[in-house]
Amino acid sequence: MRPACRCTCPRTRSSTLCSGPRWRWRKRTSSSSCAAATRARRRKHAPMAGPQPEQRPASPWLLVGAVALSLVLVTVYVKEGDRGPLHLVRRGVQAVAAPVAAVGDWVTWPVRAATTWVGGFTMSKADVAELQAQNAELRKRNAELEEARLENERLKKLVGFAEAAGLDAKGAHVIGRPSSTWEGVVVLDLGFEDGVTTGMPVLSAQGVVGQVVESTLGSCRVRLITDQRSGAAALVQRTRATGVLRGSVDGGLTMDFVDRKFLPQRGDVVLTSGLGGVYPKGLLIGEVVDVDARPGDLFPDIVVESKVPFASLEEALVLVSAPPAVEGGAGE
Amino acid sequence: MRRALPATLAILAAAALQVGIAPHVGIGGVVPNLLLLVVITLAFMEGSQAGMVAGFSAGLLLDLLGTGPVGAWALVLAVTGYVTGLVAANLFAEGWLLPVTVAAVACLLAEGAYAFELTMFGEGANLAGALLTKVLPGAVYNAALALLVYPWLARAMRREPRLTELRRIG
Repeated sequence: MRPACRCTCPRTRSSTLCSGPRWRWRKRTSSSSCAAATRARRRKHAPMAGPQPEQRPASPWLLVGAVALSLVLVTVYVKEGDRGPLHLVRRGVQAVAAPVAAVGDWVTWPVRAATTWVGGFTMSKADVAELQAQNAELRKRNAELEEARLENERLKKLVGFAEAAGLDAKGAHVIGRPSSTWEGVVVLDLGFEDGVTTGMPVLSAQGVVGQVVESTLGSCRVRLITDQRSGAAALVQRTRATGVLRGSVDGGLTMDFVDRKFLPQRGDVVLTSGLGGVYPKGLLIGEVVDVDARPGDLFPDIVVESKVPFASLEEALVLVSAPPAVEGGAGE
Repeated sequence: MRRALPATLAILAAAALQVGIAPHVGIGGVVPNLLLLVVITLAFMEGSQAGMVAGFSAGLLLDLLGTGPVGAWALVLAVTGYVTGLVAANLFAEGWLLPVTVAAVACLLAEGAYAFELTMFGEGANLAGALLTKVLPGAVYNAALALLVYPWLARAMRREPRLTELRRIG
């Protein structure tokens, strides 16, 4: 009697269904019942089966088209200004995504609170929070007082010079965190209706957080100072050496172009110099944690550590009316 | 793609989770790429052409959700979906090891390609540092998550209803 399905299993050389899970079936004739039987066998091992047998063959020209379209999009995005169509679409997507991010932040809050509490088992949560807040406040206060003292000494030598350090800041809650490994961005619950515009500096109690890169209705995106695309004109408080602070892909901060004559030491406080045009002068950035000044290098490698808890940041201040920065610096 | 609606829903759901939940389950600054996992799964289930279309769409969405150049993720995920579909079509294996292995390799190559793109576009990415701190940990994390994502999505995307065995009673 002839079998209904004329397939042969390479292992058993028979036309009966092979019980072995990993054998490819060779078709002698195109039999729809055979294909159905094969699919049925695959589905018995679902969901980890391979692709469906009746897939459309891939077209390399479609891939070429997709790659070309992607490159066109990148080119248009880079060339267009902030008011270009792709930027506008992105702002629209951001406006839609901000509430989703806020919901996610709210939903995951208990889990995050629990993990933070477990992390500080040796003390009560209230004690840890109080000491951390106190430490941050004292550190900031100390930097401010030291900066004020040095500034006072300089001002005595400059007749008629006065500076009003009135900062108009608005408080905001962090409602979104980096949604990708490659993004050093947080989302705040202030938008353009609150007077927040692109380029405004953002601070926390521990120092500079970053600057606003996009503002939309009800939310704004802040690029962290540790992001690889960030840069800021900086100043070492003790030596008055200026340089450019850059973020990196691993979240570290480095200070470049510092004159070797004014080499900083570990523990030196780093502030904004006001030369970039974005951050006003004298804002706390962090501390120098490593200085590598090899004789052959033109500039020393200086690693700076920010004290801002970017991963657990919950509130921030947006400087909506910062004092004018020093002119003549490069854009930040 | 015959399964355009479920695939679209899967991509949109992954995007919502990417914005709302993924940032809070990151480990050491490495955030899982749920859209990438969905693209790999769709490429496995539907083939290279569908994987490429899904990859381009999901990548464009990921670009618009981020702050990098628009089109960079679209390029990476389109190629990833295409190649994953080709690999899946030319391999015959069952069980959990193959999709997870392919997901790990695909994540490694996709994240590495994106790091390379950022370097090429002058976005300040240090390629060596990115490989150690972002790409490798990200591939491990995403491969582990593929174990969870793949079976559920594969079940949802199945074309025919599950066959039930009829036991004949003699």
